[in-house]
Amino acid sequence: MKRNTLFLITISLLILAIFAIGCTTPTPEPTQVPPEAEPTEAAPAEPTEAPMEPVTIQVYYPVAVDAPIAEILNGYIAEFEKENPDITVEPVFSGGYRDVQTTIQTTIDGGGTPPALAVMLATSLYDEINADNIVPLDDYIVSMEDGEAYLNDFLPAFMANSSYDGKIWSIPFQRSAVVLYYNADMFKEAGLEPPTSWQSWAEAAQALTVTEGDTTKWGLHFSSDWPYWLFQPLAIGGGHNIFDDDCTVTFDDPAVIDAVQFYVDLSEKYNAMPPGVQASWPSDPPDLASGATAMIVHSSGSLTGILDQADFELGVMPYPGKEEGTYASVPGGGNFYIFKGAPKEQQDAAWKFIEFVTQPELVADFSINTGYIGTRASAYETDAMKEYISQVPQAKDTMEALQYAGAELSTQNLGEVRNILHNYLQKAFNGEMSAADAMAAAQEEATTALEPFCK
Amino acid sequence: MRATIQEKDKKKIPLLPYLLILPTMIFVALFTAWPTVLSIYQSFFLQRMNIAKFREPTFVGFQNYIDLFADPSFHQTLVNTLIYVLGTVPLSMLLGFTFALLVNRKIRGVGMARLAFFHPMVLPMVSAATIWLFFFTPNYGLFNSALRLFGYSGPQNWAGNPSMALLAVMIVAIWKNSGFYMIFYLAGMQNLPSEVYEAAALDGASSWQALWAITIPLLRRTTVFVTTIAFIDAFRTVDHIFVITQGGPSGASTVLLYKLWQVRFEYQNVGAAAAITVMFVALLLVFTVSNFIFSERKEA
Repeated sequence: MKRNTLFLITISLLILAIFAIGCTTPTPEPTQVPPEAEPTEAAPAEPTEAPMEPVTIQVYYPVAVDAPIAEILNGYIAEFEKENPDITVEPVFSGGYRDVQTTIQTTIDGGGTPPALAVMLATSLYDEINADNIVPLDDYIVSMEDGEAYLNDFLPAFMANSSYDGKIWSIPFQRSAVVLYYNADMFKEAGLEPPTSWQSWAEAAQALTVTEGDTTKWGLHFSSDWPYWLFQPLAIGGGHNIFDDDCTVTFDDPAVIDAVQFYVDLSEKYNAMPPGVQASWPSDPPDLASGATAMIVHSSGSLTGILDQADFELGVMPYPGKEEGTYASVPGGGNFYIFKGAPKEQQDAAWKFIEFVTQPELVADFSINTGYIGTRASAYETDAMKEYISQVPQAKDTMEALQYAGAELSTQNLGEVRNILHNYLQKAFNGEMSAADAMAAAQEEATTALEPFCK
Repeated sequence: MRATIQEKDKKKIPLLPYLLILPTMIFVALFTAWPTVLSIYQSFFLQRMNIAKFREPTFVGFQNYIDLFADPSFHQTLVNTLIYVLGTVPLSMLLGFTFALLVNRKIRGVGMARLAFFHPMVLPMVSAATIWLFFFTPNYGLFNSALRLFGYSGPQNWAGNPSMALLAVMIVAIWKNSGFYMIFYLAGMQNLPSEVYEAAALDGASSWQALWAITIPLLRRTTVFVTTIAFIDAFRTVDHIFVITQGGPSGASTVLLYKLWQVRFEYQNVGAAAAITVMFVALLLVFTVSNFIFSERKEA
């Protein structure tokens, strides 16, 4: 009897304890946020210059390259907090780009408070604006000492995805570009010059393709498992980008079809590249570094990793274009976004952090330590960057590739449009459809997918 | 003493069992039942988070379902899912059973063998898939190198070939799950009464006969359990698809859960995603319930 009662009591206590834990942990968060949120919303006129209450902001960020981003970011945060003792910044590592966006979207959909600041793809712009998730940054920029100069200092290719409806919505942070990496030693041995057109590119790749027994060492690896990004410079080099604006895609433009055909020709006609869709994004940089191929196309973000492993002279350049002497590239990577759902003083603090992290010295430092391209022209004037470029001249080549860059695909309903493009690009690459048929079908489906957004 | 407790318990409403399952009940209600109800409700509404005018849900009846079934890529997804489930479940169970037979004996080094079979289960799927990506690499990948030993030449492109991509992700799933099912079979085998085997041996039964007449029938309950979790696993394991094929090429390796993620988070189409969820839950229910009914009938 006694034992039984004791058992019952223990169990009940246990259950109670579980509930206590379950209930106490979530409660602090909701109680923390609304009291802060409401007073400020009620009194927006209060100048931000007034002595600030201590404020804590969260920064959601992805890690998409092989670099100690977390460590680097923590260092910047420590410096920032020293300068701004009333602001605490909590970095929240949240996986890849898609995970960051998904996490925040889920928080907002569930009625939660989003973080004040996040790093998301520059191309997520329209989805975030349509979902009413983010705030424009113009007021902050205007309130700067010289906001105009600040904006103009960013490389134009990186600002291409920041404005909509006459407003600025995001600030470039970890930005990259698509480039062609080549093994300069192999080129020299074969008596080849770096390519200057599709023709000479294909011929170089053909000349550097070697078959020994069962294995072929291809002249070029061109990953197409997530194809739109690496494909875009082909289209741009062919004469027309794959979209005109947020409501108009140009998948069936003759120049784009040409570019698809060139990709197919590289394996079919020149036999210079593995046939079909190449699911090789992660294996391409090590393949180049180990000499298993002579050329790859990849993100400029892989530069540091390849340089670390390669024991040959590495060449970096934009893609050659269709016509002799033309080149092409496309930017990529993530920008800072400030969220509408965060309380005003957190938004203000987030802007301060953006300003801090995008000062030229830190932009240069970030670029040197990660391999991302410096987002501001003035970053390349700093001593640290000059010193670095004298040792690693390729770092300058990635930046210079950007002058040939077109805009990265960014449209309304981006996820669906991009997926349609992927499906048909891969059908063409795998020979299931002709380039012209595939791109015509992609154009038609994408136009339908854009209709409800653009009518 | 004991008798009095039992009598008393019979008269009272047994509070203890309910108290014990209360936490589970709350969790099931909160995280399973409620979301299911919500999904059914949402699936009748048009709601797209990335279109300002459609952010507020509007009732559209069965339109989401109609649109999905009119979409050829959704047909492909359903077919892929069926192939994936029917291809991975029986094979990984058979392998699990075979592994269990192999390591259910007292020989030297059996611990190492058990560890070897089980370790895929312990590895996180994403890191395992990253390694598999290199196995599938056309030129020097493990798979093609192995195939070359059998006289095959040329680079077979596993993840990029539309007729092989689904097979590639199925291989990874089978590799990952077989060891897990082995554990259940192994536990089942070790609980089997040894007298039955001794009697069979006296009657002159071969080990093959003992396997068919004793081990397999006695492990039926284990099989029912493993079938159930294997079906559920097959429907919800998609992590490796994100890493190896991203559902491609051209949707050739897109299965239902991957599609659901795509529609909800890439297309931001809440209504269509809810409709897929409802079909997903319905499919799982049909599979698991019929599995139970089928096995219970056998017993009668």
